[in-house]
Amino acid sequence: MAQPGRQLDTHFEMVTPENIAFQYRVAGPFQRLPAYLFDLMIQGVIIVGGFLLLVLAGSLASMPGGGIGAFLVFFFFVNWFYGGIFETLLNGQTPGKRILRLRVISVDGQPINALQAILRNLLRAVDLLPLYTYQLGLFSAILTERFQRLGDVACGTMVIVEEPQYRYGVARIVEPEVLALVAAIPPNFSVSRTLGVALSSYVLRRPSIPWSRRVQIARHVGEPLREQFGLPPTTNVDHLLCAVYQRAFFGETEAAAGTNPFAVAAPHARQAAAGMPAPAAVFVPEPAAAAVVATHLAGTSPASPSEQGP
Amino acid sequence: MRVAELLAERRENWRELEGVCVQLESRRQRRLGARAITRFAALYRGACADLALADAYQLPPNTVSYLHQLVGRAHNQLYRARSFQLSSWTHEMLVALPQRLYHDNCLRLAFVVFWGFFLATMFLSYVSPNFAASIWTQEGLNQMEEMHSQSISGKGLNAGSMSVGFYVQHNTSIGLQCFAFGLLLGVGGLLITISNGILLGSVFGYMATTSVRDNFFQFVTAHGPFELTAIVICSAAGMRLGFAIVDTKGLTRYDSLRLATREAMPTVVLGMILFFLAACIEGLISPSQLPYALKAAIAVASSAILVLYFVLHGNPQGNRLAT
Repeated sequence: MAQPGRQLDTHFEMVTPENIAFQYRVAGPFQRLPAYLFDLMIQGVIIVGGFLLLVLAGSLASMPGGGIGAFLVFFFFVNWFYGGIFETLLNGQTPGKRILRLRVISVDGQPINALQAILRNLLRAVDLLPLYTYQLGLFSAILTERFQRLGDVACGTMVIVEEPQYRYGVARIVEPEVLALVAAIPPNFSVSRTLGVALSSYVLRRPSIPWSRRVQIARHVGEPLREQFGLPPTTNVDHLLCAVYQRAFFGETEAAAGTNPFAVAAPHARQAAAGMPAPAAVFVPEPAAAAVVATHLAGTSPASPSEQGP
Repeated sequence: MRVAELLAERRENWRELEGVCVQLESRRQRRLGARAITRFAALYRGACADLALADAYQLPPNTVSYLHQLVGRAHNQLYRARSFQLSSWTHEMLVALPQRLYHDNCLRLAFVVFWGFFLATMFLSYVSPNFAASIWTQEGLNQMEEMHSQSISGKGLNAGSMSVGFYVQHNTSIGLQCFAFGLLLGVGGLLITISNGILLGSVFGYMATTSVRDNFFQFVTAHGPFELTAIVICSAAGMRLGFAIVDTKGLTRYDSLRLATREAMPTVVLGMILFFLAACIEGLISPSQLPYALKAAIAVASSAILVLYFVLHGNPQGNRLAT
């Protein structure tokens, strides 16, 4: 469940019955606004389409009044139940939310049911007070830690951001200078957890950092390590960090052989199922391409959904 | 074990789990065989264990966030919410709901408030037409009077179905608004209930003083019981939400509200059904040329249905004692 005091940002931790904590990122009001505007537009299109269709059908059946009556009922349902019906059918998403990768789930992490979906949209009538400006909803979202509007509070739901994580794995380093440095690391040196996390964060993001900046960043950890290992001061700290990373994550033998087949991981399964081309590999599969990595990455990473983007 | 080796070992499992998630998320192929479900659960537990030990394994941050997402996704599929069941809803609407409403103080309050203000303003408007004018303005009253100035001549099915649509849209929206505003600590719902009571009561009182009263009362007879009850029910459902925040009965305010919301939904559905029925009667029967006796019979029948629903269904024990 929620641990109110420990929340630092919009990531929200949830504990499953397996006693595993996993995280969701809740969506703030201004992330939800564009989705709402999309939905309004779609609602408008549906209503206009329904009007034309029903009135036309009414006059064809020589009952124009019936057509208008049917349209009014249709309007009523679209107006009040658009969100509820879509969130039930699309497992917590309206078309607008789908475009912006938002999803409604209940606060205990389960998918919402039809009751919650419909009620939270009926209660929108309060949230948009006064006069469709959503002041009450905004107020409520500010006061609750999960950015819930009043309808969300009453139904026990929240809106989360779905961040598709297409890639995982370890970076593969192929620069010969680095591989040469690996041997210089004392065999009894072990990498602590925090250093491990720092190293992998650095190495995974390194390709998108310019050369000059890399040394500046790597210096803070690299220089103490250089002294500790007794290496000459001319040693490049960037390369040193990569070498330590290589040792910690691959071990010496593989580093020497340079044949780890698991450099990068899977493209998203859904993407593969949909027949879309897998995003361009972030890490180079072949040593020969090493030099190209940095430039190649700079071009593709903004489009690639991975975390390694700039 | 080195991270790279570990990833190599787990990667196939994660991919398989991801594949099953994709399959479960698409509505068409949700059903898995028994073996596949067991496999899915095992894969999920495996991913959970990997996530739990991510720190000890020194997994890279991108892998950890991938695992968070994978576990969340699988969790959503494994612990699905119960889907809609017709039989449980029928039971809810026909057995549980009337019993709950029979003992519901909010419904009593909404009933008393609505009818209290309705009757009071009706009386006041009957005594002094100025009172009604101060609420509706004289022009508005004249307009309404004119609307009912011709004796009911009957609309065709064509115009009738148009008004059904209008009443469904207009009246049910008011009802849903009554419900939603109840969330404002019950005060919002109370205010809307009072204002509806005053508006309707003053029209009734005023119309009784004018020459068109026969037409007017003939028009409102048939759909009155359903429509007025529907407003009261919707307001009561809203107040239940609002008062649940104030009087929590020992729960946290948040839990109390969530519980009340779950209970309020069937009530809203009932209110909507009554609004729809009322709209059909109002659009098709009320303006028709059917004899007044028939319209009165419909009013009596609908009142009888409501009494049956609320009292007989609502208090089965009481009935058993009485017989």
